[in-house]
Amino acid sequence: MTYGEKQTDPTSPMHWRGDMQADYMYPSGIAGDKFFNHLKEKDTFLATKCKTCNKVLFPPRLYCEDCFNEIPESDWMEVPSSGTVRIYTVAKLNAHGEKMQEPKVIAMIDINNTDGAILGIIKTNDYEKDFSGLKVKANLRPKGKREGTLKDILYWE
Amino acid sequence: MVEKKEYKEWPPFAPGTHLHDSDIKEKKVNYTWWEPEVQYSWSLGPAMSKFLQGLKNGIIYGIHCKRCKRVLVPPRSFCEYCYGPTEEWVELKDTGTIETFSISYIDADARRIEEPILIGVISIDGASPQHGFMHYFGEMSKDEIKIGMKVKAVWKSENEREGSITDIKYFKPLSGGAK
Repeated sequence: MTYGEKQTDPTSPMHWRGDMQADYMYPSGIAGDKFFNHLKEKDTFLATKCKTCNKVLFPPRLYCEDCFNEIPESDWMEVPSSGTVRIYTVAKLNAHGEKMQEPKVIAMIDINNTDGAILGIIKTNDYEKDFSGLKVKANLRPKGKREGTLKDILYWE
Repeated sequence: MVEKKEYKEWPPFAPGTHLHDSDIKEKKVNYTWWEPEVQYSWSLGPAMSKFLQGLKNGIIYGIHCKRCKRVLVPPRSFCEYCYGPTEEWVELKDTGTIETFSISYIDADARRIEEPILIGVISIDGASPQHGFMHYFGEMSKDEIKIGMKVKAVWKSENEREGSITDIKYFKPLSGGAK
């Protein structure tokens, strides 16, 4: 078809479809590695304590984010895998923008005994409820099946 | 001028921890792997559509600009010299001349390879001078290839063609030998 011709078949212009490979691999780092290796064996979390700022860092860090001091091996501590919902959102669309059969409650959860928080999914049937301030506990993948990623925390309830 | 300071002792720095390929493969460290779905659809437009449909049928199409008296390949709906519409389709031969070439010792994924890939630009016979496209060269060695060599397209079999530039496998030397 050229400019002068009339186009009668709407299917004649072609589309070239392609798939771009853009895999990525994100290693957990030294502190993250320790955290996930601990989580593989136990049902608790690890955190690090900065004695200068008197702050418990969670997720655990090798350096304090406030004073940049290095945290020694001895200041690693075990914390319970439970917490309080700080803020949340109820997602009704998935990552592709399609409507999900069941909504998902995604929450920022302040971990008990620490000053840090983590993102997680809350299991519930009532999506209209106010979740802020709710006490929740992590439900972990069965031991032996844990992979060492954040997906080892299945949901919170 | 700023005087260069000689450090007796370097300021504190983190030495870093190197990860090796084997650490990942043997799962010595924890990591997250994700393959995002990145699909695209490129609308080819009328001219390029006809060109690729032509390749499916074993024909290289060019398009004629009457004002500039040029035959364009790959075809475009508008002439980029006079901005006028191009109007007349021309069936071109599947032979041409090597305009420029490259001997590549890395493949499309930037891996080193022993046998080099020969690629280059071919000006197609029947089109205006220096009008053509890039493609692979085959049935010739890296020592035989040279600028100005006459080449001919080697097509995929009819049922393998799908309307893509790779419907031509490569260009081989015309009349069975390097000249």
